[in-house]
Amino acid sequence: MSSVEVAHLNKTYGSLRAVKDFNFSAREGEILALVGPDGAGKTSIFRAICGLIEYDSGEIRIAGYDTSREFEKIKPLLGYMPQTFSLYPDLSVEENLYFYAGIFGLKRHQFNEKKKLLYQFSGLEPFHNRRAAALSGGMKQKLALSCALIHDPSVLMLDEPTTGVDPLSRRQFWDILKHLKKDGSTIVVSTPYMDEVALSDRAILVHQGTKLAEGTPDELIRLFSGRVYLAKVQPTTERMEKLEKIQGIISRRFGSSIHIYPRLDMTKDDFYGQLELAGIGPDIIEPVSPDLEDIFIQLMGD
Amino acid sequence: MIRTIWALMQKEFHQVIRDRIMLRLIFVAPLIQLLLLGYTANTDVKLIYTAFYDFDQSELSREYIRSFTVGDYFVRRTSDIPLVEATKGFKENKFNAVMVIPVDFSKNIQWGKPGKVGFMVDGTNANSASIALGYANIITSQFNQRVSGFASPVSLGGKILYNPEAKSVYFMVPGIVATLLTVITMMLTCMAIVREREIGTLEQLMVTPITTPALLLGKIIPFALIGFLEMSIALAFGIIWFKIPFVGSWPLLYGLSFLFLFTTLGVGIFISTVVKTQQQAMFFSWFFSLFALMTSGFFTPIANIPKSIQYLTYINPLRYFMKIVRGIIMKGASLDALYPEVAAMVIFGLVVFSFSWIRFSKRVK
Repeated sequence: MSSVEVAHLNKTYGSLRAVKDFNFSAREGEILALVGPDGAGKTSIFRAICGLIEYDSGEIRIAGYDTSREFEKIKPLLGYMPQTFSLYPDLSVEENLYFYAGIFGLKRHQFNEKKKLLYQFSGLEPFHNRRAAALSGGMKQKLALSCALIHDPSVLMLDEPTTGVDPLSRRQFWDILKHLKKDGSTIVVSTPYMDEVALSDRAILVHQGTKLAEGTPDELIRLFSGRVYLAKVQPTTERMEKLEKIQGIISRRFGSSIHIYPRLDMTKDDFYGQLELAGIGPDIIEPVSPDLEDIFIQLMGD
Repeated sequence: MIRTIWALMQKEFHQVIRDRIMLRLIFVAPLIQLLLLGYTANTDVKLIYTAFYDFDQSELSREYIRSFTVGDYFVRRTSDIPLVEATKGFKENKFNAVMVIPVDFSKNIQWGKPGKVGFMVDGTNANSASIALGYANIITSQFNQRVSGFASPVSLGGKILYNPEAKSVYFMVPGIVATLLTVITMMLTCMAIVREREIGTLEQLMVTPITTPALLLGKIIPFALIGFLEMSIALAFGIIWFKIPFVGSWPLLYGLSFLFLFTTLGVGIFISTVVKTQQQAMFFSWFFSLFALMTSGFFTPIANIPKSIQYLTYINPLRYFMKIVRGIIMKGASLDALYPEVAAMVIFGLVVFSFSWIRFSKRVK
């Protein structure tokens, strides 16, 4: 049985269709990532699942309970971490934890046990007296996650938990998530970072309120139907503009180099010839295996 | 449920204690206010500096002047300003009153005719002017009795009850206590709810098993307690520092204050449901406080307010509470005596509190 099931979810804001007939399910012991750029509708999906907004149509079930009718039964099972940092900035790390423990009705000794555990994985123990406002971005997110975990939820909904967090903290955060799923929790996490897809068990690429693709990281990579080349030159604005003018190719900045996708029916000679005209010689171009962002760009272009 | 409310209350107290500026605002500012208002909002009229122009220069005229200067109220100001330029003296604040005794004053009285005396008071402060005029009338009628030897047909034996010295501080401090309770409980509750929405924690709470009643109770109980604490501090200060005679019943005062809190907390919750930011909440509370204060009879008696605006005062809950607080503290009023005000408090409390409660519950859903 799936822990989170979303069927035919629709949500509009005025004339904007934020979520269009969205379907997915997440199983126990699985990390499901919703990946997409800002404004893709990820947060709307999360808020609908957590009962924070009314949706136009569709059905959402958590642990078999219908969220629109049996939400009170879901609350104790659900851990939610909203996109914006929403802890009490003027309370200390421990006071924040203690508050949520109180809200979920934990007894003092239960809190103390849980606290020890949460400090263990978050590494927040040395900062237990520090005010939440004075924590670094990564530590804030770890504290927010700890608060969401205080009542041992079986379903975790994490809305962009790693946005704006330094790479090391992101890595640590994902390690925590991997640890949690071993206990059988269902974890649904949204992110704008393509590289985090590789860390999830399954991912859904979301764009403009619809599902572009769904699958394991490997499955998603296999979706890429074309070739991708790496041009080892600086992606200057001038160069990017030149590339944009060439018919039949798509290009994007890739660190300090450029990723270039030729159209499927383009011949090799035509491709190299066109690039030479733009000042990129064949000696600095090499074929590479596509990453997830390449796939995203290709799917979005279709 | 109780555990949840307790957790919320603890958190709320932590936040109040954590916020040094807020803490000072809550506890120090009211005392300064009390001290300032206790001294400055002084409507006592004493020391009316008076220039006496005695053109009669007789035994009788001098005795008349003396009857003014022996008391505490009128102080003689010798002035070299000629009478025709007396307005200059008013403008330069040399004196606040002028008395002119014409040359034929004593002659007229001896001949059985009225001795006319001119008396002018600086009316910049209308209140103190009329009080000064009142004193002058009393002194004059006493003087008449003495000179004529006859008792006037009507002799008024006046006595001011409950505040015989007519000290305004006795009147102001209970008023400040009522005002404090209103502003503190309403504003703090409102701000605490709005802040929670602003930083997004309210949304977080909606996903926890917390119920709306628990959430609201956890929010309002701490501020009700702070309100009571402040009220007690202000009262203690008034009694110890300003020597306010507290003649009424303490339990009755606190009981009725508790009743009043339903209205102020209700207003606080209501404001939190209509505003988005803390600034808006602040402005709204300020507007409400000002309205409540102006039409409560705190500064000016309600009877002095124009009739059409007097109707507005009936919808001001503070008006009733002001009367209750002053009645209990100064007159020792009992519950029977305050029956209409208490009834108003019950109605206000029920209507405002339940309306806000329902509105809040709908908003969070």
